Order: sequence, then C-alpha cells, then structure tokens
Amino acid sequence: MKIFKFIVSKIFLRKAILGIDIMLLLLMANYITFTAARSILSTFQGYQETKYVNQEGVYIANLDPDSHIDMSMIGESGTQAVYDYLNSSFKYAFYTDGFIVSVPNDDDMKISLGYLNEQYYRLNEFEFSQGTDLDFDYQLDGEIPVLIGKGLSKTYPVGATIELEESVLGRPLTLRVQGVLKQNAYHSNFYALNSKAYYNFSILFPVNEEFINHASMDIQFNGLMDIILLETSKEEIADLSEVIKDNLGLSFNFFSQKENYDYFNEYYLHSLKIIFITTFILLIVITCLSVWNGLVSVRLMLKDFTINLLVGLSYSKLKRIFYGYFGMLSFVNVALIATFTAFNRYGCWLRKDATFATYGLFGLIGIDWLALLLVVVSDIVIGIIVVESMLWKIKKVPISLGVLQ
Amino acid sequence: MKKSLFRLTDMLELSIAYIFCFSLNLLLDYAKTLDLDAYVLKAFLKNFIDYQPLIVSLFTFIVIVFHYQMLERKKAKIFCRILVGGTVFSVTIRYVLDCLTVLIFVYLLSALVNLHFGFNLADNFYLVLIFVTYILISARRVRKYENI
Repeated sequence: MKIFKFIVSKIFLRKAILGIDIMLLLLMANYITFTAARSILSTFQGYQETKYVNQEGVYIANLDPDSHIDMSMIGESGTQAVYDYLNSSFKYAFYTDGFIVSVPNDDDMKISLGYLNEQYYRLNEFEFSQGTDLDFDYQLDGEIPVLIGKGLSKTYPVGATIELEESVLGRPLTLRVQGVLKQNAYHSNFYALNSKAYYNFSILFPVNEEFINHASMDIQFNGLMDIILLETSKEEIADLSEVIKDNLGLSFNFFSQKENYDYFNEYYLHSLKIIFITTFILLIVITCLSVWNGLVSVRLMLKDFTINLLVGLSYSKLKRIFYGYFGMLSFVNVALIATFTAFNRYGCWLRKDATFATYGLFGLIGIDWLALLLVVVSDIVIGIIVVESMLWKIKKVPISLGVLQ
Repeated sequence: MKKSLFRLTDMLELSIAYIFCFSLNLLLDYAKTLDLDAYVLKAFLKNFIDYQPLIVSLFTFIVIVFHYQMLERKKAKIFCRILVGGTVFSVTIRYVLDCLTVLIFVYLLSALVNLHFGFNLADNFYLVLIFVTYILISARRVRKYENI
C-alpha cells in the first residue's frame, strides 16, 4: 500500500494531465457501454413482457398510417357498435392508459390511470406486493376495486378508498384498493419495446363489458388502437376490419404472430445489431486512444519507473500497482455514471412525472445495476489491454537505458 | 521543417488527434440528420446528440495530451536551439505556426466533408477555437524549457 501511494502520488499525479485524459476516455467508454447496455436490456425486457402476442391466433390492432382520421365520422354510436361486435364475436385483451388525474398523495405526484380488461390482466400476470387478485365482477354504482402502484400505497393501503372527482364515466367514482403492484412494475410500448411506463404512481382500473358500454368515447376509441384479439383467425379479423371501416371510417391493420415475429427480426434485431456494432467500434477506438495515452505515460515516466525498478521494485509489483491505479480510475468513473443516472431518475421525481418515477437502491433500478455490471466488465477488458501494453513498453527498455534517459 | 520541433510522426500524430475530434463532431451532426424509423435507435442516439458539445469537448483532451507530451519530450531540443542562438520567441512562433498549419489543413478537410453533406460550416468551427486556445496555452510552456 505504501509503495502504491508513493507511485501514484510521486509519479502518476505529477503528470496529472495524462491521468485526467485516461479518466475522460474511460468515462466516455463507460457512458457508451452503459447507454448501449441499457437500450439492449430494456428492449429485451419489453420483448419478454410482450412475448404473449407472438402466439398462434393472436392479432394486434394498429391504425393504418395512411388512414385519414375524420373525427366527424367518429361518434359514440360508431364506437359502441364496434365494441358490441367485439363483445359478441371475439375474445380480446383491452388496455389503454395515459389519463392523468389529480389524486392527493404523499409525494404530490400527478396520477396516471390505466384501464385493462380481464383478458389483458390474465395475459400479463401482474405481481403484487400486497393485496389480492383484481375482481372484474363489480357494480359500477358501488366501489370499484383497483390496483395501485407502490408510490400510492403509503397514502392508500389495501382496503382504503380513493375518491375520483372526474372519470371516464362522466361522474365521480369511489375506488377501493384491492392490491398493490410490486415496485417498478412497468408496461412496455408495443412499437417501442425499450420505452416503458412505470406503474408506481398509477391506478389500474378493471374494465368489464358494462364499464366499456358506459365509458366516454375517448377511452373506447383509444382502447381500439392497441386492442389484442385472441384465439381468432384471418377471416374473422377481415370481418372486424369491415365493421370498423363502416362505423368509424378507419382502416386498421391486424398483425399476426408471423408478422409480429418478422417485424421484430427486421426492426428490433436490426436496430440492436447497429447499436452493438457501433458500441463495439467506439470501444475499440477508445481502447486504442487509451493505449496511446498509456504509452505516452510510459514514455514520460520511464525514468521514474526504471529508477524504482533499479532499487528493488519487481515487475509483478509494478503490474499490481498499475492495475490498482486503473481500478481506482474505473471506480471513480463507474461512480460518476451511477450518480449521473441516479440524478436523471431523480429528475422525474422533481418534475412530478408519474410515468417515469422509479424506486431503487441509491435511486437506480435493476436494469441500471445490470448495465453498470457490464460497464465494469468492459473496464476490466480495457484495463487489461492498457496495463499489459504499458508493461510491455516498460519491459522493452533495459533498466540501465531507462535510468540514463 | 528543418528548424521545426515537429518530426513527421509528430505531425501525423497531431493530425490524427484533430481528425478524430472533427470526425466525431461530423458523425454526431450526421446522426442528427438521419430520419430513423426505429425508436430504439433514435433513443440510443439521443443520448449522444443531446450532449454533443460536451462529448466532443471532452475528447479534445487528447489534443491537450499531445501538446503536453510533445513539449515534455522536446524540452532538451528547445534548450539546445536556444543554446545555439535561437530565441524563445522564434521557437514559439515556429511551434505555433506548425500546429496551426496542421489544424488549418484538417479543418479544410472537414469543411469539405461538411459541404459535401450540406452541413453548416460553423458547426465545426467551435473546435477550431478550442484547438487554437490549446495551441496558445501550450506555446506559453515553450519558454519554461529555456533553462533545464
């Protein structure tokens, strides 16, 4: 330890510019690795979550991008007719969210409302930290059982009631907390799997046939956009398209398992490949720059190293000191990346952004810790390359010549 | 070149450092213009585009390292030049001119690429200002080696 302190303070820190440079290069390498790792892991998580759509007989609705929305053609009777047809002929999973309301809570956050039907609930297998399964068989004029996120559980424990002044039913509602979701439960967007909405400050409404029939047109119309049809066939889907076209004047695409799978391969796999290759190339460039920096350091500090080698410092000890120094720089960088990420996450709390507010150790969630682990692995690889090339350079110069220099 | 502190390898090293910084800036400018359908890629690139000036500026530190190590290595040479009749002023001026020549050459090269892609020429110019500052700061270090 004494010799380590000596070498670091008397040799490395005397030429601090070189140390700062290697630290900045490592910081860049860490930031790139962290960003890429998070993108890839997040997409993978999204894919895992929405894997159920890649099953035989499952189709997802999607508004045709070329279809013109004529709001004058869309009325309550039209959407109701579509739902009547859906209810009579299909088994479907319904989910829609993004409705923001004010509900008093300890953290003073705006609350996001999500609506889901029983099929969607069963397919997603929500995990609870408290409470029991959601009950879909309730009366609209009584208390409606709901699920809430962890952030709301302090103010509204299981069994508590929430008064909602405005609702999609056009009247005040009383909700009863049936269960609390696990912390950081999330929902991935079908068309941007790496984008997540967290349920920590959400209320999830159980939607049944009666609820949809009495709900406003907004929720009915939004719900149609991502509706998932289960155990159906191409012919039945064609009929549904006709019904939607006749009642709402809109063209919808319905993607099958194969189309979804092809889409994933073409769109996501291709994007992930590009991210991986870009990251790999950037890391190689940064490693080359770090090696250059290391060799420059050796060139400028050779005299000091060789004098120490002459008076008894062994190569193996020098190697350990180099690894220790590099480890120290890596640790500072990883800490910086972690702080930056935690600060970004904390920003969502400051902005009262209910959709992205998360809980975690030191403000970081599981995916961040996993990405940080990959950053550490990349640092180890870069460290080995840089330290070994520095030692190779030192060993190449005879001790006597080094001292003479 | 005869009286210069620079050797061909030094010129090459400095050019590579400049080219790297200009190319990085150019790459990020290019990334901004991409009309990507893939949200995953867009979100990934946004992490870099949002911090473009900071990222490019941090990478310019390799140029500082170049100037620092160049003058450290050449201190005996500077001392000898002064010993045989050169002045600190003339050595400094030659050093600054050599650095500026490399910088102007690389900037013109990057400006050509900018023109080719239809980017604004001013997008790269802030790097020239940063590098000129580095050259001027490092030039002040030349006089430090008047006596070693």
